[in-house]
Amino acid sequence: MGLADVSWAFSEDLSGAWVWGALGLGALSILLLALETARTERRRFLVLASGVLATALLLAAVLRPVAVSLRANSVGPKVVVLLDGSTRLLIPSEGKTRRARAITAAKAISSTFKDARVSVLEFGAGAPYALQGEGEGGSLSVESDLTAALSHLNSLAQEKPQAYVVVSDGRLSRPTFDDDLTRLKQLALGVPIHTVSIADVDPPDAAIRAVHAAGAAVAHQPLSLTIELGCSGGLKCNEIPVEIHELRYGMPKALLASGVAKLNQDSGKIELQVTLDRAGTRVVEVSIAAPSGDSLPENNSRVIAFTVTRDRIRLLHVAGRPTYDVRSLRMWLKSDESVDLVAFFILRSTEDETRTTSNSELALIPFPVDELFTEHLPSFDAVVLQDLDAVAYHLAQHLPALARYVESGGGLIMVGGPTSFTGGRYAGTELERVLPVRLLSSEKPFDLEQFVPSYTDSGRAAPVLRGLRDLFGDALPEMPGANILGAPRENALVLWEHPRKKIGQASMPVLALGEAGDGRSIALGVDGTHLLAFSELADEGSGRGFGALWDGLLGWLMRDPRFEAARTELVGECSEGQPTTLMLTRLPSMQGDVTLTLERLGVTQVAPIVQRIPNPPPGPLKIVFSDLKAGGYIAKAKIGSAPPTRYDFACERGGQAWSDSRVDPARLDRIAKLTGGRAVAASGLSSLPIPRPAEVAAERRVSALLPAWLWSLFAAIVLGAHWLLRRDSGLV
Amino acid sequence: MRCIPRHTFLIGVAASLAAPSALAFGQAGAFHPRMLLTGGATWSGPRLRAPERWGWELVRRTSAPARAVCKTVRASDNRLLAEPFCVWAGEGEISPLTRRELHVLGRFIQLGGVMVVDDFEPRVGTFGRAARRELARVLPETLPVRLDPSHVLFKTFYMIERPVGRVVGVDHVDAIVRGNNAQVLFLGHDLLGALAQSEIGEWLFETESPDPMFREQAARLAVNIGMYLLCSDYKDDQVHAPYLMRKRAAR
Repeated sequence: MGLADVSWAFSEDLSGAWVWGALGLGALSILLLALETARTERRRFLVLASGVLATALLLAAVLRPVAVSLRANSVGPKVVVLLDGSTRLLIPSEGKTRRARAITAAKAISSTFKDARVSVLEFGAGAPYALQGEGEGGSLSVESDLTAALSHLNSLAQEKPQAYVVVSDGRLSRPTFDDDLTRLKQLALGVPIHTVSIADVDPPDAAIRAVHAAGAAVAHQPLSLTIELGCSGGLKCNEIPVEIHELRYGMPKALLASGVAKLNQDSGKIELQVTLDRAGTRVVEVSIAAPSGDSLPENNSRVIAFTVTRDRIRLLHVAGRPTYDVRSLRMWLKSDESVDLVAFFILRSTEDETRTTSNSELALIPFPVDELFTEHLPSFDAVVLQDLDAVAYHLAQHLPALARYVESGGGLIMVGGPTSFTGGRYAGTELERVLPVRLLSSEKPFDLEQFVPSYTDSGRAAPVLRGLRDLFGDALPEMPGANILGAPRENALVLWEHPRKKIGQASMPVLALGEAGDGRSIALGVDGTHLLAFSELADEGSGRGFGALWDGLLGWLMRDPRFEAARTELVGECSEGQPTTLMLTRLPSMQGDVTLTLERLGVTQVAPIVQRIPNPPPGPLKIVFSDLKAGGYIAKAKIGSAPPTRYDFACERGGQAWSDSRVDPARLDRIAKLTGGRAVAASGLSSLPIPRPAEVAAERRVSALLPAWLWSLFAAIVLGAHWLLRRDSGLV
Repeated sequence: MRCIPRHTFLIGVAASLAAPSALAFGQAGAFHPRMLLTGGATWSGPRLRAPERWGWELVRRTSAPARAVCKTVRASDNRLLAEPFCVWAGEGEISPLTRRELHVLGRFIQLGGVMVVDDFEPRVGTFGRAARRELARVLPETLPVRLDPSHVLFKTFYMIERPVGRVVGVDHVDAIVRGNNAQVLFLGHDLLGALAQSEIGEWLFETESPDPMFREQAARLAVNIGMYLLCSDYKDDQVHAPYLMRKRAAR
């Protein structure tokens, strides 16, 4: 619809100062003329009138008045519907989901405001986006941050809407009920925010509302977890049992703590202490036993990934006899401030003759094998067994526990020597299954041939040996024999191999890395790595070769990112039913096919999900998985022939978004009132006020009333008449 | 040279039979007191077999392996850098170290090697003083210090009250300490003299004290030095501290 509006103005080539100056001068002239005409009686009014007219015409000649005509168009009002895009809206509500009801309401708003320009956006954690789908898929967010959505809309160079309509259950992430809503009012920029509440009845629900950790999780240190619980929708909850488990790979979940929370007025909290022994990402499940009648079992458990740090690596080093190899390893470990070393060396066997009459002459203590491998074993991050006979020193009875320790996330390095591996009577034991190589009890325990280990392709690609290769390239010291090691296990990689000795058709492994459950293990089938610390070759690297090797081995064992081929991280959150995106960032030197294998933590029959990307270009890779079920997951990324990188993460059904299922229409009411909007229920959309059409200026036209010369001519004529009248009245 | 009848030595012998130039698996890291030779010196005389005896004492008393055959190594030879231990022993004046010897010895110490300086005539002390003078040229920035009686050297295997060798000598051990490691031990006790035997196993030198325990104390010092080399400061670990303190208090 077109509208015309005409207004008047002076010529636009004159500044305001000139206009006001001219008007002031004219007013002064008229004032003086009035004073002058007061002295005469004759034709006073004619003189005055002609003077005023002449002055006005002179001013018109100078100011040149113009007519400004404005033609404008009006359009339908712009209305932005902001639909709550949180996964919380997937909570069931009266036979449907809240989301389905919200989408129905949004469509109804479009019908109600039929003359308006209605756009429907969803808002989650950041910028709002166009409604993508009506199902549970799409890009739903854990958050529903209205403040962030408005802030983003304000930042866009676009027409301001006449009204916002927020469709939600009211339990927004921001603003919270207790927030000062002044900020929201500022962000609305005077635009009313109407709200539509899509549900007004709380479901009967017992839920874990929140889990708070008191500080950072540090390995071996007790961590206090506060679990907030809530009960709503008329469900009766007095006491709720709570359990905390750690989810482990290939093993049943382990109970960390349990207790009973007492609820007062439908809410309560309980504090439980847990100790996570392994560093890295650990996935913990907090669960409650809800009373009968609970309609939302999905929020009775939370699966949370904790990043467990360690102040120092606590390492147990056990050696069967002291040698230069033991010395080199001990001295390197002791020199590393990040290692808390507990060492036990067998200094005397039962065959040795100490020639003493009393034990007090000896500085020896008994090897506390039982105490170490029962009571204290979980407190270590890694165990190094070096040339230790398992039977002679009574370790054999603890090998099953040691294997479980590795599968639970501990690290193990077995270092070669005459009494390591088969020579140490580890073949056929429980520990063998967590070693990266098989042990051959039928073979002799070691080979006496001197040799220089060869790097395999994996050894050349592995970041774990990069430091050593930077120093010496492919060169390694000559070893005086090797332990006989069998074929590598599944999930194991051989980094060094024997150049001549074969096991079956393949070269015999010398250095192999492997994954075993949640833990990692390393088999080093030689006892001569001290030659990287002290030898003519070592001198070429100023003795740094030994440190470079062991820094890599220990770092890889402890999942130090420096020694991983890639870094994997979750983009956003993992919610059941939603697409899950993992970002894989490879080291610059890492090339080759990428294989990402996703497996569930715990004991499961579910087949791994495998995605292969043949030789992708450099740069980060985004890999999307759909339809993940709730639980803990490990993602193993293998780049080319390098050892795989592991990343643990948690996936939840509902998660934080479902932790509080109560609706909050009061908050929507507050928002509407504060911004001048109206709060309605989904059934009351017709009561929403329809905004006025928006007027859009389309054309502006400026035209002079008369030409300047004509104003001047009229002014001259009138001035002449004025002169004659003045003369006639005796004023001249 | 004499083979030591112990299981660890047998491995070495077996390897020697299989490949005469090869060290047995498990023997490359075995205790090996190599005799350091400087200038035109040679290793001969009645103490010739003392290094093997040192290894033998270590093997029969402890779980540590030792080489059955001990070698000499010249200070000018890069092979000094092949292993982390050597013994510089002798008597009388020694010629100044050559530039090459200074360089190789410097690398040996820089890599973390351990050296024992043993004076055959500690009462005269000429060799000991000369060795200190020359080592001061190798490590001009580090002066020898007296090891405290509580130093780990005196508790690496045996609880030792004071060092002795063939002679009673001084009641302490001086050492060049770098970082936390005593890398050069100056013995004024003729330790090799106390360990020297003839081919038929007779002691070649009388000890200064006729007490049979005197030589035993010297052997214990030798064992402790060997264990200090192989285990470094293991016995200083916190886990051993209360136990060893109780033992000291009980003695």
